[in-house]
Amino acid sequence: MSVASANAVVSILEQAKDELRSLARTTETEIHSVAAAFEGLAHHTDTILNLTAELVAAVESEGIRSVLPTVRALGEAAKHFVEQRLQATTGILETVAAEVKLLRQLSLATREQAVIARKTKALSVLTNIEVARLGARGGRFEHLAQQLAEFSQTLSEDVQRLARDTDAHRAAIEEIRQALATALPRQRQTMASIVTELEKVAGVAEAGLIRLSRTPGEFRSCVDMLRQRISGVIAAVQAEDITRQQIEHVEEGLRIVCEGLLGSNGMDSECAEEASWACAGLTIQIYQLRKVKENVASWSSQIKTCMDGILNVSTSEIVGIGPMVLEKEREVSAQLAEIDMLEEESRAHTESIQETLGGLSSLMTLVRDHLRKSKSARDCLQLLTFNSIIEATHLGSQANSILALARHIETISAEWRQITDQAALAMKELMKVAEPTNQWIKDFSEDGSRSLHEAQAQTRVSLENLRSTANFAATQAQHMRTASEQMRLQTAGVKTAGDLLNACFNRFEGIESEVEQARVQLGSGYEKWEEEYNEFEVERRFSASYTTEMEREVLRAALSGRPLPVTEQTFAGNAVELF
Amino acid sequence: MAKILTVDDSNSIRQMLGFTLRKAGYEVVEAVDGKDGLAKAGHGKFDLIITDLNMPQMDGIQLIAAVRKMSGYSFVPILMLTTESQAEKKDAGKKAGATGWIVKPFNEEQLITVIQKLVK
Repeated sequence: MSVASANAVVSILEQAKDELRSLARTTETEIHSVAAAFEGLAHHTDTILNLTAELVAAVESEGIRSVLPTVRALGEAAKHFVEQRLQATTGILETVAAEVKLLRQLSLATREQAVIARKTKALSVLTNIEVARLGARGGRFEHLAQQLAEFSQTLSEDVQRLARDTDAHRAAIEEIRQALATALPRQRQTMASIVTELEKVAGVAEAGLIRLSRTPGEFRSCVDMLRQRISGVIAAVQAEDITRQQIEHVEEGLRIVCEGLLGSNGMDSECAEEASWACAGLTIQIYQLRKVKENVASWSSQIKTCMDGILNVSTSEIVGIGPMVLEKEREVSAQLAEIDMLEEESRAHTESIQETLGGLSSLMTLVRDHLRKSKSARDCLQLLTFNSIIEATHLGSQANSILALARHIETISAEWRQITDQAALAMKELMKVAEPTNQWIKDFSEDGSRSLHEAQAQTRVSLENLRSTANFAATQAQHMRTASEQMRLQTAGVKTAGDLLNACFNRFEGIESEVEQARVQLGSGYEKWEEEYNEFEVERRFSASYTTEMEREVLRAALSGRPLPVTEQTFAGNAVELF
Repeated sequence: MAKILTVDDSNSIRQMLGFTLRKAGYEVVEAVDGKDGLAKAGHGKFDLIITDLNMPQMDGIQLIAAVRKMSGYSFVPILMLTTESQAEKKDAGKKAGATGWIVKPFNEEQLITVIQKLVK
């Protein structure tokens, strides 16, 4: 090996050394920027996690946990309420229809009573004529004629009043029946759609609340993931220091080779020996450089992976917890408003039915009164019949016409009794029909609403909790958005640092080729250098600076021609060994 | 709040140590090498010291030996944070007065757990 060629190799190696030094400085600067960006991101991540932790604690509170069962109970109560209302309305419609029918029968009976009243009046007139015709002998019939006249007058008035009232009530109830018959299908449809809507809203709210209840678990796994990623970055950034030392050791190795080459005195045997261990030394440095390159690739990819994981927090579902709580509060509020509206509608409906039944009860009083009067009229007619028959019998053949009148009164009395019995029957039926209607109405107005009211009250309490959590969430969400925004702004900085690290990686390739080129140049005249160098001498010269386990393994691999030892990427870092 | 002195010529290591310790609630003072570390230890009272081994001007072993001679530092825990894993180096550290040894990179969670035990 000539002095000139040794100088040429040394010059290449000196250049490689300079480049390595410059590269180490660049890498250090870049890793410093990455670490600074990481600290910023970690700070914002911490802010987001702290805000989320408070929010998760609020979501996990007893008050919020009760929302879901309360909403479920409210949905059930509302559904039950609607079903009960529909059932009651159907029952009331059936009852009203029966009442209309019975009132029609009563109306007919009243008309027949009116006919009897007219007949009674005619009999009264006939009795008066007969009394006049009999003269002094008919004096005892005068009182009977008077009673008949008074009775027919009262009867006529009562019957007219009842007929008028019955017709009016029948018309009113008929009107309600028609209104109910028309409204019921529509109401059934409306209520069915409300139930469907409620189920839909409850389904959405339930799904949302279930989703919300999962957030604490998701938050904890996110925290774990972040902890791992942060540890990963911390470990990777520290690895740069290890790399820096490795680069320094390669520089030292190159210096040793250069010194050896320059110190050779030109004797062939000595040149051969120097060249062989220098080639071996350069092989070691090439291996070390490859390992450095591999390490840089490993920790820069670890930094990228971990930083990406940290950055993802700003767009993750964790940041979405705040808006999600707000959304759920709105959904449940909407559901409650829907139920309030349904109850309002039902209340109006109940009032209208109660009004109808109120009218029916006044009709009942009227009919009952009329029935009492009819019975009294029946007794009166019977009495008149007996009196007229007794008086006519007493007068004998002279009072045939009076006897005929008495027979008429008897007939009318029988007719009256029959009609009164019919009216009483209709009345009894009416009472029987009206009874369940009253029960329907009672159910309608009290019991059915009670469970709904309780569910509504409980939901309002839960909703209040949800609302206060939602307000808290809104504030937290705002802070989270700010932190996320700042995190996103820093992303650009992280990317630039990552690109520069990649550029460093490419520069290693160049340096490795230069050292490789120096070794080829050096070994060109000494093809058998691999067989000639003294392994112990080489190890003695180069191993002093290789104080880490990995460097020593690389050295051994280089000397034995084995592949590079594998470095496993670790996010964890090493533990402390206490003495 | 406990006060910790970190001594390392590597900017990135000091940065990561500072970040980890401050996040855990400790006050941190940084020194760039053994000489700087010794000066800072002399100017203030620290509850724990974490030092690198290979540093310019004064290495970690020399620093520990010097610090142990200073008043008030006989029982202050000193952890060595280094890339070295050789037994003889560890022995040298132990003899100089180190409390524990950590091979870089450190595990932040484990480091904090140990510090919490050492600094009470």
